[in-house]
Amino acid sequence: MRFLPHTDTDRSAMLEKIGVSAMSDLFADIPAEFHLDEGSLNIADALSEAGIVRKFTRAAEKNRNATNTRYFLGGGTYNHFVPAVVDYIISRGEFLTAYTPYQPEISQGTLQALFEFQTMIARLTGMDVSNASMYEAATATAEAALMARRVTRKNRVVMAGSVNPRYRSVTANYLSRLDGEFVEVDMAGSGTTFGTDLDKLIAAIDEKTACVIVQYPDFYGSVYDLSPLRAACDAAKCLMVVAFSDVSAFALIESPGAMGADIAVGSGQPLGIPMGFGGPHLGLFTCKQKYLRQMPGRVCGLTSDADGKRGFVLTLSTREQHIRREKATSNICTNQGLMCTAAATYMTLMGDAGLATVARHSAAALQSLVSQLPDHVTAASGARFNETVLSFVDQEARDAFLAAAKAGDIFAGIPLEQIDSAAEPRHLLVATTEMVETDDINDYLAILEVTK
Amino acid sequence: MSCNDTTETTFKYSATVGIQHEEPLLFEHAHEAPESINLPGVNGDISAALSAFSRQQAANIPGLSEPETVRHFVRLSQWNHGIETGFYPLGSCTMKYNPRVNEQVVRLPGLAHIHPDQPQDTTQGVLELLYELQGWLGEISGLPHLTLQPAAGAHGELVGLMMIRAALDARGQQHRRKVLVPDSAHGTNPASAALCGMHTVELKSGADGRIDLDELKRHLDDETAALMMTNPNTAGAFESDVKEICQLVHDAGGFVYGDGANLNALVGVARPGDMGIDCLHINVHKTFSTPHGGGGPGAGPVAVNDMLAPYLPVPRIEKQGDTFALVANCETSIGPVLGTPGQIGVLLRAHAYISAFGRQHLHQIAGDAVLNANYILHRLKERYHVPFKGLCKHECLLTDEIQNKHGVKTLDIAKRLIDLGFHPMTVYFPLIVHGAMLIEPTETESRETLDAFCDAMLDIADACEAGDTEMLHEAPLKPFRRRLDETQAARNPVLVWQG
Repeated sequence: MRFLPHTDTDRSAMLEKIGVSAMSDLFADIPAEFHLDEGSLNIADALSEAGIVRKFTRAAEKNRNATNTRYFLGGGTYNHFVPAVVDYIISRGEFLTAYTPYQPEISQGTLQALFEFQTMIARLTGMDVSNASMYEAATATAEAALMARRVTRKNRVVMAGSVNPRYRSVTANYLSRLDGEFVEVDMAGSGTTFGTDLDKLIAAIDEKTACVIVQYPDFYGSVYDLSPLRAACDAAKCLMVVAFSDVSAFALIESPGAMGADIAVGSGQPLGIPMGFGGPHLGLFTCKQKYLRQMPGRVCGLTSDADGKRGFVLTLSTREQHIRREKATSNICTNQGLMCTAAATYMTLMGDAGLATVARHSAAALQSLVSQLPDHVTAASGARFNETVLSFVDQEARDAFLAAAKAGDIFAGIPLEQIDSAAEPRHLLVATTEMVETDDINDYLAILEVTK
Repeated sequence: MSCNDTTETTFKYSATVGIQHEEPLLFEHAHEAPESINLPGVNGDISAALSAFSRQQAANIPGLSEPETVRHFVRLSQWNHGIETGFYPLGSCTMKYNPRVNEQVVRLPGLAHIHPDQPQDTTQGVLELLYELQGWLGEISGLPHLTLQPAAGAHGELVGLMMIRAALDARGQQHRRKVLVPDSAHGTNPASAALCGMHTVELKSGADGRIDLDELKRHLDDETAALMMTNPNTAGAFESDVKEICQLVHDAGGFVYGDGANLNALVGVARPGDMGIDCLHINVHKTFSTPHGGGGPGAGPVAVNDMLAPYLPVPRIEKQGDTFALVANCETSIGPVLGTPGQIGVLLRAHAYISAFGRQHLHQIAGDAVLNANYILHRLKERYHVPFKGLCKHECLLTDEIQNKHGVKTLDIAKRLIDLGFHPMTVYFPLIVHGAMLIEPTETESRETLDAFCDAMLDIADACEAGDTEMLHEAPLKPFRRRLDETQAARNPVLVWQG
């Protein structure tokens, strides 16, 4: 077996040194009734390396992908450009095959990359501090709610119905086993269509509220002014939590920090990480400095070594499960370390200018599409970043368009009810990135015309 | 006896003296950002409505040219120890070789560049691989029903406990909220229980480091929801009473949760489900060789028996006739636990690892892992204190008791290992012994490497006895940075660069 260095001669010699006669003697402490016969499990026969490549290649070829299809899909996962350098850096064995940097003397590479990551994420989101990642955006949102409860010592969580339904349901699930109240403020039937009605949300805040969670841009792509909510949170002494699904937005529009967020969480997948059928992605978690000690997850901090040279360590570990056990701020241990290195590499390649171009091209593609829509399709109104909702007269019209687009190598959007089960089945959630070219938009519009 | 076991060579250890460059923070590279990277897309206008929200102050992300970016991060990488660099004997972490073919196949565009919400008839290939993996993990664990969705081991623990809680609630037993956790358990166990709205009671380990049946019986009652057990435990010992332990918990009306962090000792040899475990998370970044990446991503699939199957989270991967589907609707489910279908790229690497061994060779994973741990234990047991006697499983536990007499602590031994070219073992865990050193070699290390590591450990023991302890307290001397001041970092936390 090519991953096992021992020959049978090695094994015999080692067994002899240990003082046992057979491999099975090493398992004598496992009751005999539990011993399996070798080869008895119902698992496929061993494959050679060539066999593995063949099998995976065949499976991959059954999947349509972004090299042969134009993607207008979002909903929390985006087809942004991934530069070759990012994948090269995270493929290096020293990053790829390292453990969590608990031995800092021989982990300074991971640690400095984490420190740079934290710094750039804090700057991009306009927040004071960032941790060294959560799994992804939905669990990061749930952790933000839990943190707000700890900070405020209150246990009522209010969430806008315009937050991604997956972030909402995961947060509701996390909170459902703990004392306290979880209130979702339905945005349907309010004055705002596919957007966030702040008046309605603010009306749901009371003095028992620990935090209000909004998404910005919201699930439907709507961009709006958060200052009325900031004022309401101040009045009720609760925290304002801002979730986001595409962090690249903040190279173009005002950041959560500038909007007054106490905690901002969301997805870093757009920063050089492929869609990957949903993972591994990157959960971002940022907050104000004063709440630092209630933050979940690992953080990397600056310090110096015995010779006075600058260095980095994982720090504030007394918040964490391996020290504090049941009183820890979170149970999270393994997080998305390598994805932080990917995002740090990506942001370094891009810089302010590149990030701004990504965001501007993403938004410009949407504007181009929306401004040319035929009459039988309407787009949600108001400021949108790179995502919006297109509405058709009925489900039949929408699905006919989706099928025709698919036949023309375009994934034209996600049926809204696929993510938001409460939605009428005639809407389409549509997202654009810098990977969408003018020709793709023209093709999209042409198919809309012919499926009228 | 220290060196007699190995052939004399020019150098005994690989000792860290490579080319290492000082490299500033990228914020300190003092020049104007170069011309922006050439990006595709629509170079048009954004809407007037959106313009009203334009960011006023630049984020100040520095931006380096491509050659500078590559050199910056390559230099950083060279400050890291990785499995590809050297031995990584971290106990309970299972740091084994990460096959390169796994990296190659998950980067196929048909697996890397696909969206979780694209039409399911265009993702049948990935769903088929995942469905197959579910079946294999069910076989390996002896627990046939799977969710692949949990993002890491701790997430799997939470999901498993949620299912147990749901099963108890369905029986009308909302009063069962007590979770028993041995004092040798990973810290995630009590933290996950707390997050699941349950409270933990710590079980004191017996004199042999195993679960004490009398202690267990004392705490089992009609409020018990579950026992969380790690088997083999974190002292590297198999809980030989596992059948009786599970029976006792079941008789008391509770469930047995298995922490699968140490599954590497059992894979292909014996199955937790056969022993009475109801629910098990599997750290594929340990047992199934997906890279640790400097702290993730991992994945923590959870396998359960028939009793807990109704409560599996959604979406589930099912086979419906000849097609595969992500199924989101299920009345009894605990609901969604992650915003995506899971850490798919990680899971696919695990699939490739199992494929390489197949039914014929899978048991050799546990076989060689346990062989290697016992070989190390055998070579070190006369010179280091072994708190619990007998054969170990995939990891062996030592303490610094003998070296303490010379004023040398576990931390000193660990740091000296760095100078000798090895990553330290897990230190000060488990908490049930003083000065723990937990060593897990895995199945992918050669005898030559094991001997070199043992020689290094024996040389350290020699140095203690010779009174040559100064270098141990000072260690490490060779790497790029020496001992870091962790107190300063925690007292005055600087988490972002203010330059």
